[in-house]
Amino acid sequence: MPPHDNRAWLLLLPAVILLLVVGVLPLLAVVNYGFHDIFTLSDVHWVGLEWFADILGSDRFLASLGRSMLFSALVLSIQVPLGIGVALLLLHYRRRAVWGLMLCALPLVVPWNMIPMLWLGLIDSRAGLLGPWLAGVGFDHKFTALHTWVLILVMDTWHWLGLVVVLSYAALSSIPPAFRQAAAIDGASRWALFRFIELPRLAGALSIVFLLRFVDSFMIYTEAFAINAGGPQDATRFLSIELGEEIKGFSYGQAAARATLYLLIVLAVVWAFVVATRRQDARP
Amino acid sequence: MIRAAALVLLAVFILLPLAQAFMLSLTATLPKEGVAEGSMGLMNYAAVLASADLRAAMANSAVYVILNVILSIGLGLPAAYALARCSFVGDRHFMLLMLVFRLTPPVVLSLPIFILFSKLGLVNSPVGIALVHCLFNLPVAIWIMESFIRAVPRELDETAFLDGHSGLSFFFRHLIPEIAPGIGVAAFFCFIFSWVEVVFARILTVTAGKPITMAINAMFSFQTDIGMVMAMTCLSLMPGLAMIWLVRNHLARGFTLRA
Repeated sequence: MPPHDNRAWLLLLPAVILLLVVGVLPLLAVVNYGFHDIFTLSDVHWVGLEWFADILGSDRFLASLGRSMLFSALVLSIQVPLGIGVALLLLHYRRRAVWGLMLCALPLVVPWNMIPMLWLGLIDSRAGLLGPWLAGVGFDHKFTALHTWVLILVMDTWHWLGLVVVLSYAALSSIPPAFRQAAAIDGASRWALFRFIELPRLAGALSIVFLLRFVDSFMIYTEAFAINAGGPQDATRFLSIELGEEIKGFSYGQAAARATLYLLIVLAVVWAFVVATRRQDARP
Repeated sequence: MIRAAALVLLAVFILLPLAQAFMLSLTATLPKEGVAEGSMGLMNYAAVLASADLRAAMANSAVYVILNVILSIGLGLPAAYALARCSFVGDRHFMLLMLVFRLTPPVVLSLPIFILFSKLGLVNSPVGIALVHCLFNLPVAIWIMESFIRAVPRELDETAFLDGHSGLSFFFRHLIPEIAPGIGVAAFFCFIFSWVEVVFARILTVTAGKPITMAINAMFSFQTDIGMVMAMTCLSLMPGLAMIWLVRNHLARGFTLRA
């Protein structure tokens, strides 16, 4: 048990002050704007819960919410197992695994607005490396909803797989060799080794991965918008795209109410997740 | 055999879009004086480096990213030390608050941040972007460095203080050298998250101080020179690649969540 000392707050103070200015103040402002109709910043009217009622009552909001939920669910169920798989694969290569890690980390350093351009270039039917072949099998990301979804999912996996791999690898490589040897002596199956030795070690890293990937995919904007601007026929209109439209259309009050709602949804999921994992920890 | 095949498949998947960009960056995609369309060479790179706007954009990005890394590490290190070594009223709540800030979507905060920063005179300035990026980088830096400090035995602190080191000289002479890899990894993640971020970087640069990402966006027009766009993209990857190379042996020491 580390010593109890409230003076530690002094060391936290600089960080707290900065976060207060760039985080807490804007958050309070967003919530406040959400209750107002804003023509210009000097012409502001109190509208109470009107925006919230409008948004929650609209079918479009519910449809977008459903799409974003589905997208996050797909992203997590593809990227987490795949990332763990790649990390386990790299683990076999011991010292040389670092090359694999560097490879996986590559897409992380690509500026976000360039990622859709890279992929659109790749599938361009004239000049793309995959384009002519994809056109041959009838792939059409502009007008077929399923294909747009596939493209965005593949692109997102390309972008973020590295994060899952790096964090999983870090957790897995911290398992002492003696654990694996003991399991081998006991004749444990590959699945048992994963379930009872590797998975518990992964838990901490995976909770970070889950939260980061959930939020970033739930609020995906830059990448998804550039692929097909929410189309075809709104099939990839995610929550953040609606928010972006309102900000571009200068309906700030409504945009703020919407932003507040999104934040509440995100916080609710995070809170549920933290509570659930704590309960797991507390179990004997 | 299967393992090798899987690795090759992974490498192809990751490298394919980048290979396409690299090839395009070496190709003349618009007919220009003295250069036939489709010919290969370094002319796109030469064109990018010859443009004052694009050079300025690279400098702008570099300034706010470096500033952000310094802020995140400088403010994060004392906080990480406090969290790793002491328990105090509200430490768990502080970690939870960090989590909330890291998880707040930038789109949500873009509007009030813009208004607040224009009042403070921080729009169009790299300082503004560097400060806002702390919102998601400071928590990451604190998490990573906290887990590295935790791995250092407490005896290090105690002997240093017995030897008569003050807090400051302990930080610089003992703690920082000891967790240098951790600082490197934290700097890496802060660097790349700040370098690739688009939403805040866009709204906070209205008329001047455009970062590299916005300079690339501005290159799209009626007749886009896609080869030049790709050359710019490839150049924008260079600092990231250098960072990956620098921290390669410590990359796998990640961070774990304790909220």
